[in-house]
Amino acid sequence: MQETLIAAAERRASRDARHDRSFRWMLAGAGLFVLLALGGAALSMLWGGREAFATFGLDFITSSNWDAIGQQFGAWVPIYGTLVTAAIAMLIAIPVSFGIALFLTEVAPTWMRTPVGTAIELLAGIPSIIYGMWGLFVFVPMLAEHVYPWVDANLGQWPIVGSLFAGPPLGIGTLTAGLVLAIMVVPFISSVMRDVFLTVPTRLKESAYALGSTRWEVVWDVVLPYTRSAVIGGIFLGLGRALGETMAVTFVLGNAHELSTSLLMPGNSIAATIANEFAEADTDLYRSSLIALGFLLFVVTFIVLAVAKLMLRQLAKREGS
Amino acid sequence: MTELRTAVAARDAGPTTTTKMAVRRLNFHYGNFHAIKDVSLDIPEKRVTAMIGPSGCGKSTLLRVFNRIYSIYPGQKASGEALLDGENILDARYSVNRLRAKVGMVFQKPVPFPMSIHDNIAYGIKHYERLNKAEMAERVEQALRQAALWDEVKDKLKQSANGLSGGQQQRLCIARAIALKPDVLLLDEPTSALDPIATGRIEQLIAELRNDFTIVIVTHNMQQAARCSDFTAFMYLGELIEHGVTEQIFTQPKVQRTEDYITGRFG
Repeated sequence: MQETLIAAAERRASRDARHDRSFRWMLAGAGLFVLLALGGAALSMLWGGREAFATFGLDFITSSNWDAIGQQFGAWVPIYGTLVTAAIAMLIAIPVSFGIALFLTEVAPTWMRTPVGTAIELLAGIPSIIYGMWGLFVFVPMLAEHVYPWVDANLGQWPIVGSLFAGPPLGIGTLTAGLVLAIMVVPFISSVMRDVFLTVPTRLKESAYALGSTRWEVVWDVVLPYTRSAVIGGIFLGLGRALGETMAVTFVLGNAHELSTSLLMPGNSIAATIANEFAEADTDLYRSSLIALGFLLFVVTFIVLAVAKLMLRQLAKREGS
Repeated sequence: MTELRTAVAARDAGPTTTTKMAVRRLNFHYGNFHAIKDVSLDIPEKRVTAMIGPSGCGKSTLLRVFNRIYSIYPGQKASGEALLDGENILDARYSVNRLRAKVGMVFQKPVPFPMSIHDNIAYGIKHYERLNKAEMAERVEQALRQAALWDEVKDKLKQSANGLSGGQQQRLCIARAIALKPDVLLLDEPTSALDPIATGRIEQLIAELRNDFTIVIVTHNMQQAARCSDFTAFMYLGELIEHGVTEQIFTQPKVQRTEDYITGRFG
């Protein structure tokens, strides 16, 4: 009797250990899948772009000459456009999202919080092609008629930064793309910010109020430091989206392979170039160059995110936490 | 009951002093809920007043009126009068800034700000005074000494306050409040999240702070009220049932309900 019981217990123990092991392998497989997918995508694009890299070498990155007829391809214009439109988008989206999230968590009356919060999440679900069409048919004419002439006449006259804002009011261009991108990433950043602001303990905020802090001081001195890493995570999420966004940018950026100081002039981005020209790529070198562009987008995104992570770590080290 | 009696007897309640704070016919509403009903109460200067009563009786709410912390939430309203040195602090013209410099508050759970120990103390001071580095260091040290924390943290002022133990964090919060040199100190169940040893140190600290501050403490722990306070107010369902010298409340309560509560018949 005793022995059969012990044997049964041992059987169960070994079965449990087996199950546990296979569960662990399943999880490891899921984790590995991400790495494989990422590595596979990057490598296959590197392989597809090998002809472009072999033909142009480092010039592929530094040259701003993109000439389909002459079969000369340099990616600097799209790289620059990608970085600048993303930067404009973040410059606008971060403060706006911050304001939305704070309004929803700290200021808005209770009845308003859920509907506005839901509206923001809905905004995040709109397909980017809709943003692109809206941008082209509504936003572009409005900017061209009412905003950019003023920008050109006023901001365009400023010393140093003036050249950024001088130019014909075409409507289509880098600044417009940045603005549309900003509208697209605001829902992402603000909903993350709202969620993390809600995690700040009430007593922490009340303690600051009890010392005589104003709303602004409570937010700046208590809420933000408490949620810093999650807030920066939300900003990364938006930045990643802004760097890779294709359709909306393709509509309003202008598809011009010319380097221009003015933000009012048309430009190009990596994703928009690929979307616009893939169907026209009639030679192997042309197609290879477009795939190589895709690989560069990988690299650019990776570098931007890595730099941001490093900055975050540096910040954490300096604050000794 | 006998334990409570000996705890009370060990203290010297002292003679009645002048009134520091008072509420007159105070009513408080959370939306439609009537949380405090027509309460009038005097808080004597440089004495410890304990507020006791079962959960939901309005004692914490009353405490939150004394520094108007409730006003950061929409839908919470106080009517009637709350007086500090004879001035009505519920008057919209009474500046919240001025009020909170005079009335400090410590909460149930220790809540250090996400910054260094030094900055936790300096944070509040910066709102009211411009001090240079040396003066600030002196003020920080003074506050930490007053809160009996200096010896434990003097070598790690630059470190994050989150590394301190729960009891140390709560004394840090007390230091943070008294660093502003307030007249009144509100303690909202300051030891409810602490172990007995940390609780003992806080109670000892309250006894020392009593010489310099008017203290109002909300507590669930009747032993604590008996040990620490000079006066005790018993609240029930938003009403003030009985208020008097702690010794009298715990040994000869005048109202049956008070006796039922302190002897543990309900609560």
